[in-house]
Amino acid sequence: MSLTASTSYFEDFAAGQKMRHARGSTVEEVESQLLTKLVMNTADGHFNEHKMKATPFGQRLVFGLVTGSTVIGLATQDTAENALAELGLDKLRFRAPVFLGDTLTAYTEVLETRESEQPDAGVVRFKHWGVKQDGTIVFEGEREVLIKRRSHWIEP
Amino acid sequence: MADPDFSTFPLIKKGNRFQDFEDGQVFEHHWGRTLTEADNALFTTSTLRFTPLYYNSEYAKTHGHHTVVVDPLLVLCTVVGLSVEDLSESGGPFLGVNNVTFHQPVYPGDTITARSEVINRRESGSRPTFGIVTWKTSGFNQHDDLVLSYERTNLVAKRKERSDTESQGETSEETAS
Repeated sequence: MSLTASTSYFEDFAAGQKMRHARGSTVEEVESQLLTKLVMNTADGHFNEHKMKATPFGQRLVFGLVTGSTVIGLATQDTAENALAELGLDKLRFRAPVFLGDTLTAYTEVLETRESEQPDAGVVRFKHWGVKQDGTIVFEGEREVLIKRRSHWIEP
Repeated sequence: MADPDFSTFPLIKKGNRFQDFEDGQVFEHHWGRTLTEADNALFTTSTLRFTPLYYNSEYAKTHGHHTVVVDPLLVLCTVVGLSVEDLSESGGPFLGVNNVTFHQPVYPGDTITARSEVINRRESGSRPTFGIVTWKTSGFNQHDDLVLSYERTNLVAKRKERSDTESQGETSEETAS
């Protein structure tokens, strides 16, 4: 019995590995409006429905980093359950608008694995994609995670 | 007494337009934000961030921390959020965010502030009513330690040149991210 899966240690990742993450998440008021306000984003295009009705979008837009966080969240159990730290993100692109009611799913490819300065963990570089229910890619980005090595953290 | 004529009330405008940005300009963003355990629990659960370091304090203690680590994505979202009024509220979508580095952990109770510098501004080739601005943004804790840095690029709406349209309150066709 352990708190985290035995299948998501550094040794389990290899460049080129692809993952379709099992769960989707529909973005509604909690994810969109509450998180946008929680993080002090003042742009009312994310929470003023009547203002947005008068624009070509016709409705509120989901804050891009709520989309990005949700997509990375959908990938997190499979990519960072055994993380010691998330080191960084890069090349985040918000490719299409996301609206309340859209459902996001996540896909991941391992770009690279490498040694870290510490012996008990290695660095994995992932590329993530977020896709909505009609197949449109709405988000992509790269992410580096410092992940525990099984050889160090699990007793033989 | 008759109700007032609200059309005579001047709009308190928020946000900057493309013309307001200059290379090298620095913004010390408003407010700051103390990130609490409640913020972290709400954020990590509503985004399915299943890394125990972020919500199991006993697990975090066995991994070198005194309590849970604040989800770095919450730190990123908060630093961006604090920067929105100065940088991107007045209209124009995200074009991208690059080189996000989480320099050190943030813990519940830490207070985050944000600062940005304009590192590039240029015209939009395809959209004459917008420009493109890139900022380098940094997030700090209460000890002024750098906890986060990144570069963000947005389309930024230009201020209309005719003052008669300004007085009606500008509504851009796109809105900020």
